[in-house]
Amino acid sequence: MFKPIIAIAKATVGEAIRRRVLLIILFVAVILLFVAPLLGVLSARQEKTVLTGFVLGIVQLSSAVIAITLTVYMLPNEVERRTIYTILSKPVQRYQFLVGKYLGAVAALALMMGLMACVTLLEFGIIQHDWPKGVELLQGISMFFVQMSLLASVAMCLSTFVAPLVNFFLSGGIYLIGTLGYAFFDSFNKNPNAPVYSKALAWFVSTILPNFASYNVQNKLINPEVQIQNPLQYSINAVVYGGFYIAIMLIAGMLIFDRKEV
Amino acid sequence: MAYKGKAKLRNTLLATGVVLAGMQAVWSSCFVYPRWSKDYSPVQTGRDLIAGSLSADQMLFALAGFRELIAGILWVRADSFFESGNYDAILPIIRLVTFLDPHQIDVYATGIWHIGYNFTDEEQRSDRRYLPAALALGAEGAHQNPTTYELYYETGWLWYHKIDDNYEKAVYWMAQADSKKDIMSSPARRNLLGRIYERNGEVEKALDHWYTLYDIAAAEYDKDTEHRNFELHQNKDTIEQNLDTMLVRMSQRGFFAAKEHRSLEGYDINPPFDVGFGMKVSVPSERVLRIQGNWNVLPVGTRIRCILRDKNFPNAIPGGALWDADLDVNFNPQRDKTYMMDQLFVRNQRFDKTIDMSRDPTMYPFISDDYVLEFYYNPRSAPQHIQDKFGWNGEGMTDSTAEDIRTDIRANTRCMFYSVELKKDQILLRNQYRTQQPVIKSKGFRETEEDYNQSKDRAQIPSLRGN
Repeated sequence: MFKPIIAIAKATVGEAIRRRVLLIILFVAVILLFVAPLLGVLSARQEKTVLTGFVLGIVQLSSAVIAITLTVYMLPNEVERRTIYTILSKPVQRYQFLVGKYLGAVAALALMMGLMACVTLLEFGIIQHDWPKGVELLQGISMFFVQMSLLASVAMCLSTFVAPLVNFFLSGGIYLIGTLGYAFFDSFNKNPNAPVYSKALAWFVSTILPNFASYNVQNKLINPEVQIQNPLQYSINAVVYGGFYIAIMLIAGMLIFDRKEV
Repeated sequence: MAYKGKAKLRNTLLATGVVLAGMQAVWSSCFVYPRWSKDYSPVQTGRDLIAGSLSADQMLFALAGFRELIAGILWVRADSFFESGNYDAILPIIRLVTFLDPHQIDVYATGIWHIGYNFTDEEQRSDRRYLPAALALGAEGAHQNPTTYELYYETGWLWYHKIDDNYEKAVYWMAQADSKKDIMSSPARRNLLGRIYERNGEVEKALDHWYTLYDIAAAEYDKDTEHRNFELHQNKDTIEQNLDTMLVRMSQRGFFAAKEHRSLEGYDINPPFDVGFGMKVSVPSERVLRIQGNWNVLPVGTRIRCILRDKNFPNAIPGGALWDADLDVNFNPQRDKTYMMDQLFVRNQRFDKTIDMSRDPTMYPFISDDYVLEFYYNPRSAPQHIQDKFGWNGEGMTDSTAEDIRTDIRANTRCMFYSVELKKDQILLRNQYRTQQPVIKSKGFRETEEDYNQSKDRAQIPSLRGN
C-alpha cells in the first residue's frame, strides 16, 4: 500500500526541485533574508524586533507562495501531459496517487523551508551574534511548516476539480482569510459592543475555514518579554488541529478525484 | 478494486471525513482558538481592528506578519512630523504604531509625553483636554508591557509632574514601577517615589522608602570593594542626604511631636502663616483676562493655580478634574469645551497676569454660557522651603479672610480655594459688557497703585516664624 505512495512522493520531490519558478521564489526569499538586517534602521531602539518580525514575515509569505505554486499544478499537469494514464495503469489506486503527490509536495516544501531556516539561523548566529535567537526562530518556522502543509492540502484538494489559475487565487484567498480573517473574527469576539449575530457568524465561518492564523506564533519570538503559558502545549494542540484538517482535505480530495474523468 | 469494495472505501472515507470535521471544529474551538486569541492574536481586548486607518497594502502587510516593520516605518514618518512641528499628524501614527506593535515602549513613552505636554496655546499653556488620552495611553502601554517599569513610571510622572495635584494616583503608578525588577537599571529613579509619598501626605511611608533605598544603595556600594564606581557612591550619598533632610524636616515641622500628642508650640508650622489671598479679575478686551491679586507668601517659589473652565466641564472638581474618569485613548478632545489652566507667579507678594485667549479659538472656544474661574493653592505641591512653613498638609497656613482656606477640596489637606462664576458675555464683552468692563474682586483684595511688576524683588522677606 505504501510502496507506490513513497515512489510517487519521491518522483514529486525530484520534479519540484527542478521547477524554475519555485527556485526563483526561493532565491528571492533568500536574498530578502540577507537584506533584512539593513531594515534595522527603521527602528530607533528595537532593531532586533523589526529584524525578527521581517525575517519571519519573509519566510511565511514566500513559503505560502511556494506551497500554492507547488501544489496547484500537480494533478492538472499530470492529466495534461497524460502521464497519469501510465501511472494509473499500474497497480496504483487513485487515492495512493493523490497521497503520494501530497507527501512529495510537503517533502519539497520541507527542503525549501529548511534552506530558509538555515539562512535565518546563520544570519542571526553569524551576523547578529545571537545563536540562541536563531535557534528560537526555528520554532516559529517549524510552525509555519505545519501551516504550509495545511495550505498545500487545501490547494491539493481544490486541484482535483478546479483549473490551476482559479485554484491559485482560490487557495490564496482561503489562506488570506484563514490568516488575516481570524484577526477580524477575533475582534468581533473581543468587542463587547459587537452584535450577537455577527459574533455567531464569525464563529461559524472561523470553524469551517482552516485556521492558518493559529500557526502565527511570532508574538513571543518577536517580543521575548511577553509571558505565554505553556507554548509547547499550544504548539502540540495546533499541530493536532492541522493533522485533522489535512486529513479532511485529503479525504475530500480522494473522494472527488476518485469520480473524476481523466 | 471491485465495485463493492470501492463503494465501501468511499463510505468509510466519507464517514471518517465527517467525524474528522467535527473533531477539528471542537479541537479548534476548545484548545486552539482560545489560547491563540489570548497569546498570539494581533487584536487587543475590546477593540476594533485597525481597518480604515491603514491603507490596504499596509493592512495586508501588517497582518501578514510584518506588523513590527510597518510600525517601524510609521514611526520614522512620525519623526519627520516632529521635526516640522506638525504635532497633530503624529497622533494617528502613535495610535497605529501602538496597535501594530504594542511592545514599542519608546512609542508609548513618547506618545504620553507628546500628548500630555506638546499641545499648547500661543502662550505655552498646555491643552489639558488631552490629558485623559495621555493617561489612557499610559495605562494601555503599562497593561501591554507589564514586565517593565517604564510605562508605569511615565504614567506616574504625568500624574506627579503634569497634573501635579492627585498624588494618590501618582503613588499608585510609581509604586508599581518601583516593584518591577528592571527599575534597578536606573536606581535613582526609585528616589522619586519617596518624594511622591511625601506629597501624598504619607510621610512615614516616604521615610520607610528612603531607608529601604539607603540599605540597597549601601549594599551595592559595599559590593564594590575598591569603591571606584562613582555612580554607586553618588547614589548612596544622595539617598543619605535626602534621608537626613527628611528627618530634620519631620522634626522641625512637628511631625514627631504631633505623633506623640505633644504641643506644636514653637515648631515651624506655628503660628500659621496668613497667606492673605485676594484677587481682582477684569476683562480688558474680548477673551483676555487680567488677574491681579495679593498673596503674602515669600516672593520666590509661589505659584497659584488659576483655572477658567466651562461650568459643566466633564469630571471637573475644584482646582482640577478627574482626568482618568474615562480611560479611552481618544485623541479628539472635547473641542466644544474650554479649559484654561495657568500659574500666577507671585512677586513681592503680588501677582498680576494678563491671560490672552483670543489667539487660540480652538483651544478656548467659549461655547458654553457659564464659566468658573478658580484660584487654587495646594501646599502639598509647594516647594520644600515653603512647605517648611505650611507643613505637609497646610496646617501652617491660614487666611485672614478665613473663607479661602478649605479642607473639603482635597482629603486631609488645607488648601486655598476661591472661585467666581463668569458669563460668556462677560468674557466676550457682549451685550451690556461691551461698554462696561466687567471687574470682580474678592474680599481680601488690596488695591494698590504700585506697579509690582516693575519694582525690584524684595530681599527682605517675612519671617517664616511669624507674620
